[in-house]
Amino acid sequence: MSNSRPPKWADRFLRWYCNPKYLEEIQGDVYELFDMRLEEKGKAMANRKFIWDVFRFFRWSNIKRSSSKHQKMNQFGLFQNYLKLGVRNINRNPVTSSINIFGLAIAIGIAITVYFFVDIQFNMNRFHSKRDRIYQIFNHVEQEGDNSLWSDTPLLLGPRIAADLSSVEATARLEYANAIVRFEEEVFDEWIAFTDPVYLEIFDFPILYGNKQALYKKDQIAISHDMAVKYFDLEDPLGKELSMVFSNGEKRRFEVGAVMDKFLYNDNLRHHFYIPIDNFYDLKFQDHYNWSYFTDATFVLLNEGQDIETLQRSYEDWISLQHGSNPEWLIKDYESISLNEVALRSYNIHGAIGWDLHPTGRNSFIIMACLLMGMACFNFMNIAVTGAAKRLKEIGLRKVMGGAKRQIIDQFLVENVLQCFLALIVGTFLAYFLFVPGFDSIVPIDLQFRAFSPLNMVVFFILLLLLVGLLSGTYPAFYISRFDPVTIFKGNQKFGAGNAFSKMLLGFQLFLAFLAIVASIVLTDQLYHFTTRDWGYNPSGTLFVKITGDQQYEKLRNALLDHPNVEGIGGSTAQIGNSLPMKSIDYFDRKIAVRAFGASEDYFNVLMLRLKKGRFLTDQPIDQETAVVVNQKFVDQMEWKEPINKTFTLDSVRRTVVGVVGDFHYDQFFSPIDPVIIHGVDGRAINYLSVKTQLEELSTVDSQLKKAWIDITPNDPYQRFFQEDVFDDFFENNTANIKISIFISCVALILACLGLYGLLSFNIQKKLKEFGIRKVLGATPRAIIKVAGKQYSWIVLLAFALGAPLGFFVVDTITKTLFPDPNEVSVVPFVFSFFIIVVTFTITVLGQVRKAIRVNPASILRSE
Amino acid sequence: MRGIHLGELEELILLAAGSLYDEAYGVAIIEEIKKQTGRELNISAAHAVLRRLEEKELLTSRMGGATNQRGGRRKRLFTLTMLGKKAIDESMAVRSELYNRIPKLTYNFSS
Repeated sequence: MSNSRPPKWADRFLRWYCNPKYLEEIQGDVYELFDMRLEEKGKAMANRKFIWDVFRFFRWSNIKRSSSKHQKMNQFGLFQNYLKLGVRNINRNPVTSSINIFGLAIAIGIAITVYFFVDIQFNMNRFHSKRDRIYQIFNHVEQEGDNSLWSDTPLLLGPRIAADLSSVEATARLEYANAIVRFEEEVFDEWIAFTDPVYLEIFDFPILYGNKQALYKKDQIAISHDMAVKYFDLEDPLGKELSMVFSNGEKRRFEVGAVMDKFLYNDNLRHHFYIPIDNFYDLKFQDHYNWSYFTDATFVLLNEGQDIETLQRSYEDWISLQHGSNPEWLIKDYESISLNEVALRSYNIHGAIGWDLHPTGRNSFIIMACLLMGMACFNFMNIAVTGAAKRLKEIGLRKVMGGAKRQIIDQFLVENVLQCFLALIVGTFLAYFLFVPGFDSIVPIDLQFRAFSPLNMVVFFILLLLLVGLLSGTYPAFYISRFDPVTIFKGNQKFGAGNAFSKMLLGFQLFLAFLAIVASIVLTDQLYHFTTRDWGYNPSGTLFVKITGDQQYEKLRNALLDHPNVEGIGGSTAQIGNSLPMKSIDYFDRKIAVRAFGASEDYFNVLMLRLKKGRFLTDQPIDQETAVVVNQKFVDQMEWKEPINKTFTLDSVRRTVVGVVGDFHYDQFFSPIDPVIIHGVDGRAINYLSVKTQLEELSTVDSQLKKAWIDITPNDPYQRFFQEDVFDDFFENNTANIKISIFISCVALILACLGLYGLLSFNIQKKLKEFGIRKVLGATPRAIIKVAGKQYSWIVLLAFALGAPLGFFVVDTITKTLFPDPNEVSVVPFVFSFFIIVVTFTITVLGQVRKAIRVNPASILRSE
Repeated sequence: MRGIHLGELEELILLAAGSLYDEAYGVAIIEEIKKQTGRELNISAAHAVLRRLEEKELLTSRMGGATNQRGGRRKRLFTLTMLGKKAIDESMAVRSELYNRIPKLTYNFSS
């Protein structure tokens, strides 16, 4: 018989999968068949048939399952019972449970908000159906050994690619300009984009009225939903005519050919006016465009199945074409970035056309959310473990009655997951009604309670529940289930605060809390310093207007000069506070990137720039042509000991330094101060007129100026700004950051207090008898406080000693990457945070300590 | 009896199990069916149907005694229940009733 056995592995497989209940009969039948076939058809056939039979038996009804039907029913009943117990337990301890649930809910709410915040950034622009084939072309420019990536590309590059490369389906450029747009009585200064007509077909911006071919007609434009509301109240906008006056004075009339729908929340290319690019050539801002003219962005749509490498092979050609045009900027290399990644990389691209966020900012949100989550989980664990102390007898009884360890673990897991589930619901509500709208109002991003992929969101929620539930529920469940009924009923179960692990948990939780609190207070301190920082000039009582026409500056100046309240009128080509233009200067054989603008004699006094050496510029022709004033940074970078009378070349004119001014902020404080050159300027080239007056006279001067404006150029919008408001965007941003950072420290503080409260209340409850005895023996309240606090004070101190420096270190690293010259960090934030922590902790524990002091020995000790 | 519906294979196996009386187990049943109808059933299909019939309480089963065959493994032996017998009777009755109603005339080809 030994040579007539069926294949061993098949037999083993059958035994492995088969339900033991049926194994014997099935195995018997297949063996019998095997024997029969062995005689009739031979071994090979019998083997084959045997294997076939074994596989045919591999059906659901025959497969071994871990639990039989009967057991499953039982399990379900138990779970129902666990759930009921969980609900009762929450009802029985409303305070502890709500502390637990609320603490977790805050952390979960923040985690959800941060999830949406990160989700939107990773899914910027991903609603375009051809996004995988769309690339934006960037170029690397090297200056002073500094390689920087620019969004600006040669204007001629796009058409060149379209003509040369068969792998490319279409290219589209964006060229920005300012225009004064008028519809009947409505006149506004607008930011417009010239683009290739195919732009609307490459991308999938939702279109409300009209169609994607609108731009193929040269006199048609596409406008955004916002603009359709602004100009036409959305009443029948198609076909309406807008007139535009461009910066060179040319006027054009356009018909609205398409109205786009509201911007999608993850749209990063938000433009309000699209105008066919042919008009740009017609307007003749320059007579002729060669490869030295840069446009703002170039997009490429590849043909299906093509690789971006086909483009990379042509980089060399374009570089030499560009170099051949003899530009100021020399392109070193091109780089094509997929539309999917453009938004994520924008933070280190110069002239990026969409909104961007420094990854450090994003990462610090993620870290903060994780920290808070961790704190909430530890808090939960601590309270769950100590809370179980009240239920020791229940656990003991369950065990005595035959409850397996596994069942007790299940019970506590179910209870904890139930609490986590409630926390998830509360947290979702918090996020929906509070955190997401709140966050949305302070970040410059269209944050909504909405994820790019609903499936991912559901997965995220489930993972969150499982992670939080298991992380914070597992340990307590295992810990509790380990107890021995005998010790429980004898009443000497060592437990709770005596437990080193529990202390470690509290310590770690406090450590995280201190880390978060100190980090956010130091950060708040840093940010707050921006609001008090010296601007380098005095903006008070200064207003400025944008000049829109020839001779307008002189006329306005003459009209205002006699006004009694006007202290000075100055003109400039760019306004301090509205980012200054980048230029490049030649100094011997060095090329140096600087910011440069022109200013008239009075401008210096109007803005009250601070002279350090030499003199300011005058309106003498010689000064207007060749003299410059530089800032301190410029002198530092050139390492000049004696800057006055040094010369260099700017715009191919030899300039002489006549004065040095102190550094001043011309752009938001996050960006470092670059070397700045102020050169003399002729009245006709002036773009901004600034007026200085007394603060209280601003409005009278303003109305006077407006009257003069209307007399001179009635058709142009009167756009007046107050110098004091130029950094408003920045300060708004800054205030937002301060709010976020204060909010985070508050949450961290609340979580820490909740944790401490939970543990202490339990511990004091447990030690009431001890306090009673101490009191009987004559202990003073002070001695009792000492005993009650002894266990915790060193944990608090240790956690602070570790957490505070780390929190400082984290913030220090972040500020150094975000801000070019951070403020000095003083000891104040440390003292301040320690003080806050001590105060809040004292308030938290006060009630519990009172309970310990007020304990009545008679009633406490009576029971034994 | 209205509730019980027998599939074709179910009926066949029920009949085979009934006819084998005390020796009705998986292999014997498929052998019997093969002998009578020439139809080759896979043993797993027979098992599935037998278990289904048992669930419908048309068959009962017990484990037979151990023998030297099959490596000493016991057989599960099936017997017809009262319900099973009734089900067969019913379906046979329906068949013969219908069969008898076929008019002889229809097939009277010769005339």
